[in-house]
Amino acid sequence: MSTLEYFEVESTETVGAQLYRRIASTVITDHNLLKVLERLRIWIDPQIPIFIAVGVTRTVPRMITVSDLAGVTYDGQKITLAIADEMYLADLLLVLWKTFGKDQVSQPDRFTIEIQTGVDAATSGIEELAVADPTEGLFKDLIYSMQVICPEGFRIKRQDFDEGKFWFVASENTLPEDVFPLVVEQFRIMGVSP
Amino acid sequence: MILVPITYKGGVFRHDEILDLIEDMGGYIIQKHMIAQEVVLQALIPRDDIDLLKQVSRPLAGEVIPAPLVGTEIAIVSMSLEIHHLPHASCDVAEYLRTAGAKTNMIGLARGFGKRIGLLSDEERDIINEHDLALYLFGNFETCIREKMPTFRRGIRVPIVVCGGPSQEILMRIIDPPVAGYIGGLGRFMHRTKEPHELALLDEIVREVSRVIDQKRTLLAKDPLSVTPARLMDVILEKVPAIHEVTSPIPVVVQMDGVRVKLPYDPYAAVIRDVEVEQGIRVAEICDIRPSRMRDYILLKVKPFSETGMLV
Repeated sequence: MSTLEYFEVESTETVGAQLYRRIASTVITDHNLLKVLERLRIWIDPQIPIFIAVGVTRTVPRMITVSDLAGVTYDGQKITLAIADEMYLADLLLVLWKTFGKDQVSQPDRFTIEIQTGVDAATSGIEELAVADPTEGLFKDLIYSMQVICPEGFRIKRQDFDEGKFWFVASENTLPEDVFPLVVEQFRIMGVSP
Repeated sequence: MILVPITYKGGVFRHDEILDLIEDMGGYIIQKHMIAQEVVLQALIPRDDIDLLKQVSRPLAGEVIPAPLVGTEIAIVSMSLEIHHLPHASCDVAEYLRTAGAKTNMIGLARGFGKRIGLLSDEERDIINEHDLALYLFGNFETCIREKMPTFRRGIRVPIVVCGGPSQEILMRIIDPPVAGYIGGLGRFMHRTKEPHELALLDEIVREVSRVIDQKRTLLAKDPLSVTPARLMDVILEKVPAIHEVTSPIPVVVQMDGVRVKLPYDPYAAVIRDVEVEQGIRVAEICDIRPSRMRDYILLKVKPFSETGMLV
């Protein structure tokens, strides 16, 4: 866990905290999240009971747009996309269908998509069209790993991810209406403003 | 004749001589595994004949190792079968106890997690009670272990050994009334046990379980069973041909005070009840025969001498 700038697991029970530090370290390594995480703090109080994890990710990948994964050429009322990266092709097609209508979008071969716009194609603003948000996958991975780390009986969960900061709160009992003060406290101990 | 549990490890070559020798000594082979070119036998043999077995197995490059848990069926009770507890902790412990000769069954509780919401159903309780010992694998927090322990011991009649993250002293302090055994420092973890201190903890589990099993053996010896379960197994294997059609690796599981026969209860209970153990003594006279809660198996519990007045 040397690559994390800050990694602390604390609890009201010292032995439990040490053992949970090892669990957290194993899970983060197994889920390949070492490169993503910069700071992580976990607080567990088994008496309440509550599990709070707060963290900061290293870099937040920006939104993927059409111009990131395809070459765009305009020909009157027709746009031709030359696909360079197939990774988000399924997402791209869904977005195009939604924006231009399914009957206006055709895919003559694997790496080409043609769109009939009906107006001047150059004014369509297709290059800036958002296709996918990689942070969504990252968030899901982070929260899944927190679920694995946290004690299994803690079934009531709440989480959030915003601008590279995430938090995850779980308990066996009903969570308080507003868990944010608890999260802020942990961010403060970690030395980060929430 | 005092029978002692051993494990024999050797090559396939001439291993039938070892099988014959153990039978001639009056011993019983509880399990036989053939893995590639290797044979592993879990057996009970007369104490005085161990040296003879060692002598005969030497030219065959065989090894005779004491295995304190041969002839026992142990329930490894995991709080759930989720990724939180599997494969490590539960499987590592179950596998290690098998190396000491035990037949382990892993029981993953449906709702065992959580200190307040953890539950033990009547089916789970009955299955645990069919074993010789229950090994509970708890988590890392003493608060949770203390709170959930009363729920998980309710109705359990077999000795309980508790594994948990806190130290042995803490476990002894928080569990009241006391259970049969405690192993500290081994709670929930998510990595394979391969470091020396972890292997030492697994050895500690074998030691603690063996100690509790020995106590139970001493207790049983005060009012001996009407027939040795290992002998009962031999009789069933000999006189019930259908048992050889069972595909399970161990069709008759030997326990400390009975056997589990892996045949369906309805068609075979009557057959087993009528099996003659020795000169007019039938199984029904010396055993309680009942359906097991585990699948559709038959569970035989041998009655003690004080009840039957017979020692077969």
